[in-house]
Amino acid sequence: MDTLLNAEEREFAQQMRQFYRTEIPEELRFKVATGQELSKDEMVTSQRILNQHGYAVPNWPVEWGGQDWTPVQRHIWLEEMQLACVPQPLPFNVSMVGPVIATFGSQELKERFLPATANIDIWWSQGFSEPNAGSDLASLKTSAVRDGDKYIVNGQKTWTTLGQYGDWMFNLVRTDPNVKKQAGISFLLIDMKSPGVTVRPIQLIDGGHEVNEVFFDNVEVPVENLVGEENKGWTYAKFLLGNERTGIARIGGSKVNLARAKAYAAVTKTARGTLLDDPLFSARLTKIETELTALEMTQLRILSTQAAGSDKPDPRSSVLKLKGSQLQEDISELLVDVLGPQGLDFVDDRVQGQGLSDLPHGAVDALPAYFNTRKVTIYGGSSEVQRGIISKALLGL
Amino acid sequence: MDLELNDIQQELASTLSKYLRSEYDAAKREEILRSEEGISREKWQAFAEMGLLGLAVPESYGGADMTFNEVAVVAEAFGRSLVLEPFLATAVLGTNAVLLAGSEEQKQAILPGVCEGQTFLAVAMLEPNLRYAVEAPETTATAAADGGVTLSGEKNNVLGGDVADHFVVTAVENGDLGLYLVAADAEGLTRVAQRQADGLGNANLRLENTPAQRLDAADAREVLTEVIDLGNAAIMAEAVGALEASLTMTADYLKTREQFGAPIGVNQALQHRAADLYAELEYARSMALYSRLAVTSEAVGAEKDRHRDVIAAKIVVDQAARNISQESIQMHGGIGMTMEYPIGHYAKRLTVMTRTFDDADSLTAELAELGGLVEPHAADLS
Ligand SMILES: Cc1cc2nc3c(=O)[nH]c(=O)nc-3n(C[C@H](O)[C@H](O)[C@H](O)COP(=O)(O)OP(=O)(O)OC[C@H]3O[C@@H](n4cnc5c(N)ncnc54)[C@H](O)[C@@H]3O)c2cc1C
Repeated sequence: MDTLLNAEEREFAQQMRQFYRTEIPEELRFKVATGQELSKDEMVTSQRILNQHGYAVPNWPVEWGGQDWTPVQRHIWLEEMQLACVPQPLPFNVSMVGPVIATFGSQELKERFLPATANIDIWWSQGFSEPNAGSDLASLKTSAVRDGDKYIVNGQKTWTTLGQYGDWMFNLVRTDPNVKKQAGISFLLIDMKSPGVTVRPIQLIDGGHEVNEVFFDNVEVPVENLVGEENKGWTYAKFLLGNERTGIARIGGSKVNLARAKAYAAVTKTARGTLLDDPLFSARLTKIETELTALEMTQLRILSTQAAGSDKPDPRSSVLKLKGSQLQEDISELLVDVLGPQGLDFVDDRVQGQGLSDLPHGAVDALPAYFNTRKVTIYGGSSEVQRGIISKALLGL
Repeated sequence: MDLELNDIQQELASTLSKYLRSEYDAAKREEILRSEEGISREKWQAFAEMGLLGLAVPESYGGADMTFNEVAVVAEAFGRSLVLEPFLATAVLGTNAVLLAGSEEQKQAILPGVCEGQTFLAVAMLEPNLRYAVEAPETTATAAADGGVTLSGEKNNVLGGDVADHFVVTAVENGDLGLYLVAADAEGLTRVAQRQADGLGNANLRLENTPAQRLDAADAREVLTEVIDLGNAAIMAEAVGALEASLTMTADYLKTREQFGAPIGVNQALQHRAADLYAELEYARSMALYSRLAVTSEAVGAEKDRHRDVIAAKIVVDQAARNISQESIQMHGGIGMTMEYPIGHYAKRLTVMTRTFDDADSLTAELAELGGLVEPHAADLS
């Protein structure tokens, strides 16, 4: 990509590369590079370092700690971060609730929440989905009934990612059940320590505890925690989901994972040589490499349109989500296949001890990652939802 | 970063599209297709007058001294209209072979005529026993007593060979690959003209002690690779035009064809497949651009990556071409299979384009052999 950048952009890329590789602790980056899970403290540490240098929330308005960057610089910031295996700042804070508060919130909410959100003094959780409101999010039922200077919230959210760490939760709640479903939704901030909030873990097929159910039982929420206007929440949610889609192709991350699968394949023996020399494996790998390049070029083309002065939402970003998520899944599968029979057990450590040889690299993380990565074609607008957007917005069907 | 067309390129694209819309519509194309030669010399002359045939040729040989970027703009517009004249054969393959390997004198003798639309060229590199392996031809070149050289052997599927005035022919001389210029009326040259599935012309050639000139101002192997890279990059631009036209036509059909009392495009099964095709079209656009950047790059060491990047791009474009051409016919139903309806003509051109210099399987194998695009790296392996 470097050759497509102009001199200033190239210098910026160099600067980011240098920063990530010197300021973010090596052991954190090594954990990300090798697919290890990070603790809450490690994620917080990393985001705070970024924030100290103004690199946690560059997409925010400048007065709240953002950077006056071009779309290309923002892309470089993210791409280099992923290439350096820097833990990404918490998306719920930096790309979801932060921009919503900064754009639609009152001055009081901004002052109260934005600095703490950027510095992850508050850990946010996203309370959108419900058991019966997934792709059809607007059909959500969790209710907030006004009672004097507070709302009384009842209902259930689900799939709440890392809700076990959550201090606060931004929620879509129904404030008017008697109008068109999109017109009766509000955007409400809820302190997760409030009485009546219960968080219950959901175990996923990868064996991990990443998501939760959150129950609200007559939870009292002060009205000043409403963002923007009552019943305008759907507009804010669409704004938020639009922001979510651009970074979701995770091209830098896919490059790292693909390079890793390839390096392992080169040292994996088969009956006929190394796995990298196996014709079918290598054809599959090579095709994925070409697709990843096509994805990156598509991303750069969209950026170039933006750089040329268009800041309209670009429906082509649905292509990035559709293709980028599929590639992440394909690459996670490749890694499982590199390991062969030794990739099929859930293990905690590749060192077995007791005179047994170490398991191959990737033996701990490849399989859980494969199952975990199934999520990327489901959330953030599933692949089917993206195809719907493409067929309507780009093909007029 | 700037990946947009510049003003001149946009102007070229829109002027040419306007011309083709009125002068190269389906009916006019059909007429050309049915004509004896299968091309229109009149149209070719018009292309020459518009300056399209020598865009990347230096002014001293009658060209416009621009770059491959402008050539790609023309190829894309030609793809959209399925232009039948041998632009790829003459203005890309033949021209670049002469430009890269010809002496000053040879360039002066050939290129001005090409730019003026008087001369057709063709590169003869495929042979009956080689499939796509052009680096090791069986055709031989032998030094003649008069200091010249003669060629003997057989060539097949010489794109544009049906009308070519000069051929650039690959042959082996004393064990080394060489490029040779052969006049169409040279002694000992037999040509059998054929029509490809897409309506473009080609020829099979037999050479028997045919007099030729050496084109040896540069290393033949390098020239041949570069010519094919440029050819592939041009094909990809052309494919983008044809793919865009196919998908637009298909989406329109989904909106207008009614069955079961509603447009067939209300069916999500078709919508989602069309959306996948759209994503593939974006990939094709991206990789056509990628190949164009590869062949025009002036960065240090760019030649090393050029061939690798072009074939990587072609693998993706081939995939898009295959899916869009096949699915377009399917979504049109029976009408898609008729000669009368244009969609099948796009499918035919796309089918040929994906197999012109190589096919996706062998390109994939070649790219893997070159080490692919991603450097292996794992933080826990030293
Ligand atoms: C790991 C993980 C983490 C998540 N984290 C969060 C979080 O932190 N906060 C949060 O609010 N949500 C979160 N989500 C929820 C996520 O946004 C939803 O899963 C998503 O919106 C899909 O909803 P659903 O799971 O109910 O599936 P459904 O909407 O029921 O869909 C089921 C299947 O039907 C398809 N489908 C649905 N509608 C259509 C249609 N009209 N046409 C064609 N196909 C259709 C879908 O594509 C899918 O394949 C998370 C999900 C996962 C898996």
